[in-house]
Amino acid sequence: MKPVPFDYVAPRTVRQAVEALGDPSREARVLAGGQSLIMEMRLRRATPRLVVDINRVGGLGRLTVSAQGTGGAQETGAHGTGGVLEVGALVRHAAFERPGAVPGPLGRLFALAAAEIAHPPIRARGTMAGSLAWAHPASEWCALAVALDAVLVLDAVDGARAVAARDFFLGPHLTAREARELLTLVRFPLLADGTGVAFAEHRRTCFSFAQVAVAAAVTLRDGVVEDARIGLANCADRPVRARLAERSLIGAEIGPPGARPAAGHPFARAGAVAAERDAGPVPEPYADPDYRRHVAAVLVRRALREAAADAERRPEGVDR
Amino acid sequence: MEGWSRREDERLLGGRGRYVADIAVPGCLDAVFVRSPIAHGLLREVRCDAAREVAGVSGAWSAADLSDLPSCAPSTAYLRDLPPVPYTGVARLSTKDAVAGREWPSLARDRVRYAGEAVAVVVGDDRYAAEDGAGLVTCRIDPLPAVVTPAESATDEVRLYDGLGNVAFQAAAGRPIEDHVWRRAAVVVEAAYRQQLLMPTPMECRTILAVPGDDRLTVWAGHQMPHRLRRELAATLGWPADRIRVVVPDTGGAFGSKSPTFPEFVVVAFLAVKLGRPVRWIEDRMESLLAATRGRGQDQRVRLAADAEGRLLAYELRIDADVGAYPHLAVGLPLQTALMATGPYLTPEVHATVRSMLTTTMVTYPYRGAGRPEATIALERTMDTLAHRLGIDPAELRRRNFIPPDAFPYTTPTGRCYDSGDYAAALDLALRTAGYDDWKAERERRRADPGALPLGIGVSCYVERSGGEPGALHEFAAVEAREDGSILATCGASATGQSHETTFAALVAESLGVDERRVLLVEGDTEELPEGVGSFASRSAQVAGGALKQACDLLVAAARERAAGLWELPVEEVAWSDGALHPARGASAAMGLAELVKVTGPLRVDGRFESGMAFPFGAHVAVAEVDPELGTVNVLRVVAVDDCGVALNPAAVRGQALGSAVQGIGQALYEGIPYDGDGVPMLPWGLLDYLIPTAAEVPPITIAETSTPSPVTPLGAKGAGESGCIGTPAAIVNAVADALRLDDPGLLQTPLTPDVVWRAAHTRRQEAPR
Amino acid sequence: MKITLTVNGDDVALDVEPRRILADVLREDCRLTGTHLGCEQGVCGACTVLVDGEAVRSCLMLAVQCDGRSVRTVEGLSGADGEPHPLQLAFSAEHALQCGFCTPGFLMAAVAALEADPGAGAGDERVRALVESNLCRCTGYEPIRRAITRAAARLAARPGA
Ligand SMILES: Cc1cc2nc3c(=O)[nH]c(=O)nc-3n(C[C@H](O)[C@H](O)[C@H](O)COP(=O)(O)OP(=O)(O)OC[C@H]3O[C@@H](n4cnc5c(N)ncnc54)[C@H](O)[C@@H]3O)c2cc1C
Ligand code: FES
Ligand code: FES
Repeated sequence: MKPVPFDYVAPRTVRQAVEALGDPSREARVLAGGQSLIMEMRLRRATPRLVVDINRVGGLGRLTVSAQGTGGAQETGAHGTGGVLEVGALVRHAAFERPGAVPGPLGRLFALAAAEIAHPPIRARGTMAGSLAWAHPASEWCALAVALDAVLVLDAVDGARAVAARDFFLGPHLTAREARELLTLVRFPLLADGTGVAFAEHRRTCFSFAQVAVAAAVTLRDGVVEDARIGLANCADRPVRARLAERSLIGAEIGPPGARPAAGHPFARAGAVAAERDAGPVPEPYADPDYRRHVAAVLVRRALREAAADAERRPEGVDR
Repeated sequence: MEGWSRREDERLLGGRGRYVADIAVPGCLDAVFVRSPIAHGLLREVRCDAAREVAGVSGAWSAADLSDLPSCAPSTAYLRDLPPVPYTGVARLSTKDAVAGREWPSLARDRVRYAGEAVAVVVGDDRYAAEDGAGLVTCRIDPLPAVVTPAESATDEVRLYDGLGNVAFQAAAGRPIEDHVWRRAAVVVEAAYRQQLLMPTPMECRTILAVPGDDRLTVWAGHQMPHRLRRELAATLGWPADRIRVVVPDTGGAFGSKSPTFPEFVVVAFLAVKLGRPVRWIEDRMESLLAATRGRGQDQRVRLAADAEGRLLAYELRIDADVGAYPHLAVGLPLQTALMATGPYLTPEVHATVRSMLTTTMVTYPYRGAGRPEATIALERTMDTLAHRLGIDPAELRRRNFIPPDAFPYTTPTGRCYDSGDYAAALDLALRTAGYDDWKAERERRRADPGALPLGIGVSCYVERSGGEPGALHEFAAVEAREDGSILATCGASATGQSHETTFAALVAESLGVDERRVLLVEGDTEELPEGVGSFASRSAQVAGGALKQACDLLVAAARERAAGLWELPVEEVAWSDGALHPARGASAAMGLAELVKVTGPLRVDGRFESGMAFPFGAHVAVAEVDPELGTVNVLRVVAVDDCGVALNPAAVRGQALGSAVQGIGQALYEGIPYDGDGVPMLPWGLLDYLIPTAAEVPPITIAETSTPSPVTPLGAKGAGESGCIGTPAAIVNAVADALRLDDPGLLQTPLTPDVVWRAAHTRRQEAPR
Repeated sequence: MKITLTVNGDDVALDVEPRRILADVLREDCRLTGTHLGCEQGVCGACTVLVDGEAVRSCLMLAVQCDGRSVRTVEGLSGADGEPHPLQLAFSAEHALQCGFCTPGFLMAAVAALEADPGAGAGDERVRALVESNLCRCTGYEPIRRAITRAAARLAARPGA
C-alpha cells in the first residue's frame, strides 16, 4: 500500500496550478485534502506521474456569500433569493459544521450533511470540491450539488468554464472535468428564508459510506408544498436529483405537522416515486437494489417530514 | 512502575513499544508478495524479470525460480527448493490424513486455490521499491470454477485436488439419536444457521523479521506460539531447532490468528537464509483482508427436542464447515464445536457431526472463541425458538435444563468432562443486572403502542473450554533467583495484549512472598526457555499461570534443600516465609534468596506443568430495539456475566471481557466477508467494507462475574478472554428475533445487517400476525 | 526533495521522495516508531499525529506536504522533564490499552482536542466523537472514553488552565 513514484509541485497560484495540470504527458492529479486521492494512490488505483498539491494556493479557502455571485452561470429559482454561496476548493468539510458558517437554511442543511461524512479527522482535511471531483456515488456533497443546482467552476490554462452539477456527474468517479482542469469554486444558490431542510442518512457503522442518503429542502405556503428539492446519494451510479418525486409534491397539501405520514400521504408518495422512478441503484454487498429502493422511499418520506417540520418551526423572515 | 497500572504501560504509552515493524536492522530487505487475483485456476506462468530491473529491488521469485536459487551462505548449500507450509499438529487442529496428497506450497506452484494466494515474492530496499517490483510481476492463470460454499464443495463437482474429494475431515461426537426420540417429543425445533466467516482483524497485521547470522536464524514475529514457530521453521529448513531463535516483541493483538506458521513466514525465513540477509514482511491491511486466516465458517442444521414442560430430550447438530483451500491449519477445528454442542444443559442425548469442506478461499483458523461461539450460537438461538414455541420464558426454560452445581464433574453426551459450574447463578446475576423484568414490561408496553419501535430481550448461556486439548494442556516455566536479589521468571506463554508482564510478575511475587518490583517476567523468547507451548485457547492464566506457580514451589523446595545443606539441618527444619529461609533451630539467621545464591551458586528451576481442561461459563443478556422499516438494530444494553473461576488479575479479565463482547457485537451485526461470483472477497476498500465496531456501535455494557473455582487447576483459574465472542452474539440475535417476534430463526442470519433484518421483518409481516 | 520538518520541537532536515508518506518518514527516517500503521487508508487512526497542532491521519499525507511545518508525535507527549502527560497516566489508570497498538493514535487525537479546546473533555458528546474516530480491537472503547474524560478533568483543574 505505497504509492508509485511521482513528481510533486505545490503551486502558490491558480495560474501555476493549472499550468502544471496542463501538461498532458504528466498524468497529473490534484491533491486537495488527500483523504481519497492518497488512499487510491496507496491502493495503486491512482498512479499519477505528477501530483499538484493545491494546499498552498492562496484564496482557495474562501467561503463567501455574495448577492449575485461573481460571474459564471447564474441559476436562481423559486428557491433562491438571488444570493449565492461560493465555496473555494480548499474549504474543508469541517468548515460547514461551524455554526453560522453558511447563513440560513442552506447553512443548516450543509451542517447536517457535513456531520455525516466520515469522522472528524477526515472532515478536518477533506474538501467539498475534492468530494465533487472524486464523485463517489454515495457522497453527501454530490447529492446536495445536484439537488440544489450547484455550479462548478473549472479553471484551465485557456480560461474557466462553469458546469452545472446536473451535467457534471457521469458515473462512479467519472465527471465532466477534464484532467487539465482545476475545480476552483462551487456555487450554490442560497435557499430562501423559510425553506425547511433535512438530511437523512442510512449507513452500517459510524464512519462507513452511506447505503442511502437523502437531502431535502421544502418551501411551504399555508400547508401546501410550493417547492421541493430532493437529492439522493448512493441510489444510482451517480448522485440523483429526484425530479419526479419533487414534481409529485408541488401543490400537495401536507396536513398537520408532526403526524407520521400514512401510505397515501404526499411525502410517502414522493418517497415511492423517488425510489421507483428516480433512483436506479446498482448491486452492492449488504444492500441490493430492492433494499436500497426501499430505504430510499423511507428516507425520502422521513426527510420530507423533517424538512416540513423545520419549515414550520421557522416561518418566513425569522430565519437565520 | 510509579503511576502506571501495568508494567507494559509506560513504554506503550510513550511510543516506545517495540513491535516487529519498529525494529531497525541494517540492510534489511522488505518482502512483498504478488497475489493471485483469481480464486481458482491453473498457474501457467509467472514472470518476474521486469520486477528485477526496478531500482531498489534485489530479487523477485516465483516458486519455480526458487528451486534453483544459488545459496549465499555455504552452510545453506543443501537448501534447495522452497519448502511447503507445515501442518498444525497441536490440539488436533489438523491431521496427517487430511493433508496427505494435498501439499500447501509456500508460493503457488501450478495451481492457485484462493484469491490472494501468493504466486511470487519481491524483496527490495524498502516496501516502496518492493511494491514497485511486485507491480511488474505478471502471471497467467487459466481459471477454474470457484467453490465458495460448503454446499458447492460437497458435490465434488469441482475438486480442489485432483483425485481427492473435497471433504477433508469428518468426525462426530455423541451417539446418533433414534427416530422415536424425535417422534415422541412434544416439540422439535429445526433450524439452519450460517456462522459467517470473520476476519480477526488485530490492529497490527502479521509481521515477521528474519535475521541470519553465525549459522543461525533469529526470527522476530508478532506471535502467540514462539516455540511452535521455531519448531516448524526449523523443520521446514531441515535444521535442528536450536539454530533458530524466535523472539516475540510487543504484538498488536492476535485473537487466535497469530499462532501458525504462515506461507509467507516460510518464504521469509527461507529467503533470509538463502540470501544471507535480514528479510522482513510487514503485512498491510489490504493483504490481511485478503490473505490472513479467517474464523468461523460453518453451515449448521440443528434439531432440538423437548417435552411439554420444556425439558430437553435430544439435540442434534450437523456441521458443514468451509475450511478454505488447504487443510493444514485447522481442518479439525469444527470438531471443537461438536464436542461443545451439549452446552450447559442436561440434554440426555446429543449428537454432533462434522464435515470439513475444502473451498477455494483462504484458510479458516481459530478466531477468538474458536469453535465455541459456533456451538453456543446454534444452541442458544434454538433454545429461544423453543421457549417461544412452548410459551415458556426463555430464561426459565434454561433454568429447567441447567446441569445443577452438584452434578460436577459432569460428562456430557459429547464426551466433555465439565469441571465445575453454577450456571443458574450466572444467569440470575445477568438477569438482575440487566433489569430483566423492567425490560419485559417495556417490551410489552411497546407491543401495545403501534408507534413505538419494537424491543426485544435476548439471553444466551454458554459453557466453553479453556486450556487446550489433550497433548497441549501443558506449559513450561522457569524461575531463577539471582545474586542481585531479582527473580527472573519466564514461561512459554506469549502475550499479545493480555498484560502478562504485570499479572504473572505479581503471581510470582505472591507465590514467593517477595516484593513485586524484584520480579522480572520475560516471555516470548525461545532463548530464555528451551520449550514452551504458547497463548491460545484462553490458557495463559490457567496453564502458564499454573506452570509459574509450580516453578515457584520448585524453587522454594530447591532453596530449602540448599539451605539445609548449608546449615546442616534436615530439610523439614528449614522453613520458608516472606521470601526468606529460616532455620527452625540453631544460631543461623534467616537468609534471603540473593544471599543463598551468592553462597551456593546460580539457582534456577525449570518445570513442566500439566493442566486439566477447565470449563468457564456465563450468561449474557442483550436488549435491542429494531427499526423494522429500515432494518436497523440499536443495541440498548448488554450484560455479560462470566465465570472464569479465580481471576488472577480482575482488571485484565474485565478488559478482556469487554473487548471480546465488542467483537461479539461485530460478529452479530457488522462483520462478514461477501464473495463475488468468482469467489473473490468483495472488500475493495478494506476497512471501509469490512466494518468492525467503532465506539459509536458500542452500547452500554456491564461486565459482572461469578466465581466458581476450578478443581482441576492449582490456582482455581479457568481461562478468560473469549467469553464475549462466545456469549454475546446469540444474545443479540435473540433480542432481535424477540423484537420482531420471529418464529423462524433461519430468517436471521448473521451479520444482522439492516437488509437482513428488514427482510426478516418484512417476511413476518406477510405471514399472519401472531 | 529536501524538506524541513519540526518534529517534536526539533528541526529535522530530510531528503525524501515525494511519494513517501508522512507516517513512513516519521517511522523510518526519524525513527519515531510510536506512530503506528493499522490500515494505511485513513480508517483506524493509529497513525494520528499533530501537524501544526491539528490531528491528522499521517497515513494520508505526504511528508513533502509538511515542509516547514511542525509535527508532533506520541514521543513528544511527555513533558520536557520526562513527566508523563495526564492523558498517558489516565490511559494507564483506566486500562484504556491492551496491546497498545492503537494507543498512540487515540492519545494524539485526544491531545489535539484538549489543547485546542480545554472544554472538549467536559461534554461527554465531544469525547464520544473523539473516541469514535479511531479503531481499537482490544479494549471495547469504554475505558478509552473514561481515560480521556479523566485526563480532561485533571487538565481543567490545573492552575492556569
Ligand atoms: C475513512 C474515510 C471515510 C470517508 N467517508 C466518507 C463519507 O462518508 N462520505 C464522503 O463523501 N466521503 C467520505 N470519505 C472521503 C472524504 O470525504 C474525502 O475527503 C473526499 O472524498 C475527497 O476530498 P479531498 O479533499 O480529500 O480530495 P482528494 O483526496 O485530495 O482528491 C480526491 C480526488 O479529487 C481530485 N480533486 C480534488 N480536488 C480537486 C480540485 N479542486 N480540482 C480538481 N480535482 C480535484 C483529486 O485529484 C482526486 O482525484 C471518506 C474518507 C475516508 C478516508
Ligand atoms: S493507519 Fe492511518 S488511519 Fe489507519
Ligand atoms: S489496545 Fe489493542 S487495538 Fe487498542
